[in-house]
Amino acid sequence: MAGRSGREISAVQKGSIRSKILSWEGALVLILVAVNILGVAISPNYNVENVLREMPRYLAEIFMMFGMGYILVLGDIDISVGALVCLAGTVAVLSSNAGLPFGVAVIICLGVGLLGGMLNGFIATRFTELPTMIVTLGTQIIFRGIAEVLFETWGNGGGTASMTDTKGLMLLATKIGPFPIAFFCVLIVGIIMIVVLAKTTFGRKLYAIGSNKTAAYYAGVKVEKIRFICYSVLGLLAGLCALFLLTATFGSNTTTGQGFEMEVIAMCVFGGIATTGGKGNLIGGFIAAFIIVCLRIALGQRNINTQVILVIIGLMLIISVLVPAISSAISIRKKRAKA
Amino acid sequence: MKKKSIGQFLSGSREASLVIVLIVLLIVVGVINPSFLSFTNIRQIFLNNTLTFLMALGMLCVMLTAGIDISITSTLAFAGMSIGLLQKYNVVHNTFLLFVIGAAIGIFCGFLNGIIIAKGHVAPIICTMGFMYIWRGMAYVISNNNWASGMDVAGFSDFGKDGAPGPYIILVIAYVVFFVMMKWTRFGRKIYAVGSNTEAARVSGINVDRTLASVYTIMGFLAGVAGVLSVSIYASAQPNMQYGKEMDVIAACVIGGVAMSGGRGSVAGTFLGALIIGIISKALPMVNIPNFWQNLIKGVIILAVVILNVVTQRTMEKQNLLRREM
Amino acid sequence: MKKKLLSVILATAVAASLLAGCGSSAADTAAPAADAAAPAADAAAPADSSGGGKTYALVTKSAGNPFMERMASGFQEVVEAQGGTVVIQNPEAATPDAQISVIQSLISQGVDSIAVDGNDANALTAVLTEASGKGIKILTLDSDVAPDTRTVYCNQAGVSQIGETLMEAVYDLTGGEGDWAILSATSQATNQNAWIDAMKKLMESDSKYAKLNLVEVAYGDDEPQKSTDQTQALLQNYPDLKVICAPTTVGIAAAAKVLQDQKSSVKLTGLGLPSEMAEYIGEDDAHSCPYMYLWNPIDLGRLAGYTSIALVDGSITGAAGDSFKAGDLGDYTIEEIDGSTQIILGPPFKFDPSNIDEWKTVY
Repeated sequence: MAGRSGREISAVQKGSIRSKILSWEGALVLILVAVNILGVAISPNYNVENVLREMPRYLAEIFMMFGMGYILVLGDIDISVGALVCLAGTVAVLSSNAGLPFGVAVIICLGVGLLGGMLNGFIATRFTELPTMIVTLGTQIIFRGIAEVLFETWGNGGGTASMTDTKGLMLLATKIGPFPIAFFCVLIVGIIMIVVLAKTTFGRKLYAIGSNKTAAYYAGVKVEKIRFICYSVLGLLAGLCALFLLTATFGSNTTTGQGFEMEVIAMCVFGGIATTGGKGNLIGGFIAAFIIVCLRIALGQRNINTQVILVIIGLMLIISVLVPAISSAISIRKKRAKA
Repeated sequence: MKKKSIGQFLSGSREASLVIVLIVLLIVVGVINPSFLSFTNIRQIFLNNTLTFLMALGMLCVMLTAGIDISITSTLAFAGMSIGLLQKYNVVHNTFLLFVIGAAIGIFCGFLNGIIIAKGHVAPIICTMGFMYIWRGMAYVISNNNWASGMDVAGFSDFGKDGAPGPYIILVIAYVVFFVMMKWTRFGRKIYAVGSNTEAARVSGINVDRTLASVYTIMGFLAGVAGVLSVSIYASAQPNMQYGKEMDVIAACVIGGVAMSGGRGSVAGTFLGALIIGIISKALPMVNIPNFWQNLIKGVIILAVVILNVVTQRTMEKQNLLRREM
Repeated sequence: MKKKLLSVILATAVAASLLAGCGSSAADTAAPAADAAAPAADAAAPADSSGGGKTYALVTKSAGNPFMERMASGFQEVVEAQGGTVVIQNPEAATPDAQISVIQSLISQGVDSIAVDGNDANALTAVLTEASGKGIKILTLDSDVAPDTRTVYCNQAGVSQIGETLMEAVYDLTGGEGDWAILSATSQATNQNAWIDAMKKLMESDSKYAKLNLVEVAYGDDEPQKSTDQTQALLQNYPDLKVICAPTTVGIAAAAKVLQDQKSSVKLTGLGLPSEMAEYIGEDDAHSCPYMYLWNPIDLGRLAGYTSIALVDGSITGAAGDSFKAGDLGDYTIEEIDGSTQIILGPPFKFDPSNIDEWKTVY
């Protein structure tokens, strides 16, 4: 299956330990270690306590990485999630300020995320001819647009709102030891999502659809139903992201979640999930997410120009996707040399 | 020719349905605010959206090969910022030379995209996403937190002044060249061939890699020129310029009927798509819609138009395959 | 499957790397904590110019903005002259999210003070409270945050003062009556919203402005393209428009270009950078902006620098009535304005054809 456009992540067992270490996930683990060593080397303040303290804002994004992984495995894409985070957070803040208890606001937050995801799913499955990028581009503008209208009509105007009753958010932001609650939530959600994708028939179907939609359809896979579910799940996770982002910001504004979609896609791709569908797994994405987060924290502590950090991440992304091409070129050359 | 029913005419061609959408839009806006249809205003639609119009042509080529390029506005910012700074520090002030430099930077950026996508077999969205971060970051880095502003680009900004012919001439030339290229040249047909069926194109002797690389290089070239134009039109070079506007360009192409799966799309359709995007952004502040509703309405219109596209397409196919329907 | 082994590798790697991180910097972990306790002791011993040995951070709104650059240069100049270490952080985007990351990083570094130019009034509450809890002195400049999360706000000019100045300019340019419009930045820009509110209140309360008619507040989102569209729409929608007031540096430059290119009779005023606006300032009809206002970003940065030093060495606590000497800027006293503690830099500075050439090269 490993076509010319993706790195080789084979479903076939390949016994040797060497191949496992040489796999992309193995490489990612090594990179993660390297990034942490780098962090310690360049910054005296790079330690467990500080890293975990700086992490929550990034952790919120990782929730969406899992959902985005599903969507990418399907061969689709969703660029509306950043705006959906903004909408879900806004509705939660406004409803809490309207006097609803925190629990209800949480449910509303997740519900709005779910509804937004379902809307994406509905349009994407009803009009299958439409590229999902365009569907979600449209909903991206709409979600943020709705949030803007809400700020103006229900909020105090001015495109920003903060939660007046922050007790519930404080509770969510508490730490167990040095670990923020969000960290455990990411782990739990992550394990569920990884297992579902890797071990269940549902997960297998995603790969089938991503590899060849028509073939999957004729094999009896309910393609559109599964796509709808995946979009809904991603929406729900966007709601979760919004919730945990609120624990860091206590409020939302028109720029909330800006650019998250691209950062999340970058995490997935760096983790070895191909945007062409049918390839990659979430473990890779999970490790990659932590690589990016740790790198950002480490470089941030050295006060490296934030824009330079973006350049570095861009370079990493390109190099990582070039690796399979380069390695195959090398092996071809070796074979030629032998012959 | 036989008379066609309205339904048949509507679904007869994608462009026809776009023209109708366009006319409806113009009538609605024109009734609410008659000054929208004034000559000045229509001229400004083209001027304010020159960049979208120009880059949509490149995006058409890229999307015809089933690719996408989301690095264009970063390339634009990098090229624009570079030529802005060249003027700020009094290195170059010649308008023509500035265009050449901007275009060269664009070609370089585009070529990198092209070579990595063609030779490295990297998914276009990922490669260009990487460069989206890189060139935008580079624009910030070289700017060193400065803008090149009115005073620095005086003289040069006359080229893109409201009422000056420069931007229109560039647009007309670009559209004529691309229309001819896509329709009647071998290179244009190659682009379509690569997008429709890459393997078939390869087998029939087309150098797919070279075609891909040149398509992204063309895109980069146009983005570079757009960067120079942007500095001229707005008399200002800022590292965050046109941030996020690549989506407008992509939306313009898709509205214009360009398929993201490749192989289908036309210069005329792209033009109409870009025009619709331009009209929406120009019309929204003019029809007395409260400011905070504008984005919502923009999104709904874009989504509605692309869905309408699909519906038209379906009726079209139904008519064509009435008997052979699956 | 390889996943089992992988997860083992992963787990050990994460553990190992975190341990490595923990082990090698175990000694350092204690340092910030010690620092955090230190200011209390420092406060007791007032020093004359005790900038030395301390680290003072400045968080701007975003990278790539000359106003922020000048502000940072003023801040840096003052702090370095006093022997302190300066950390300037420009967030990657003009959002509170980006500022949170940057401030978190500064907390890790154990800086002594953070001066913030807030992108949102409330979103930084949590992170700034956390920073204060670690003993870091928080102050704001240019754009304020929630008052109880910082000690003092270095305000470029009082909100009502800016409102009055701009209203007076509009009154002058319209000749006392007629239509005028506002072109603002984004709809959530704290400063712009406060100034616009101040202007609106003034129009209601003062009968002098009764004949002025504010037709619309348009938002250009600080994007040249959208600001251009909005300005053109204002011109087309309101043929009797006399004045546009743009209290934002990007908006005013875009509007100035539109008006000047169209040779429109509509006049422009507001807040703008001299270097951006030099092309458009002039009394005659060939120029669109007769005069505009701004404060000196360099001086604002310097004021924040002096305030940071005074806060860290304990010569002020941020309470109303405290006063200190800000080098050659003169003496400043913390005032209680609208229920929050502020230091006001001074009145907005007027840029007109007589002085624009002198200032356009400065900032």
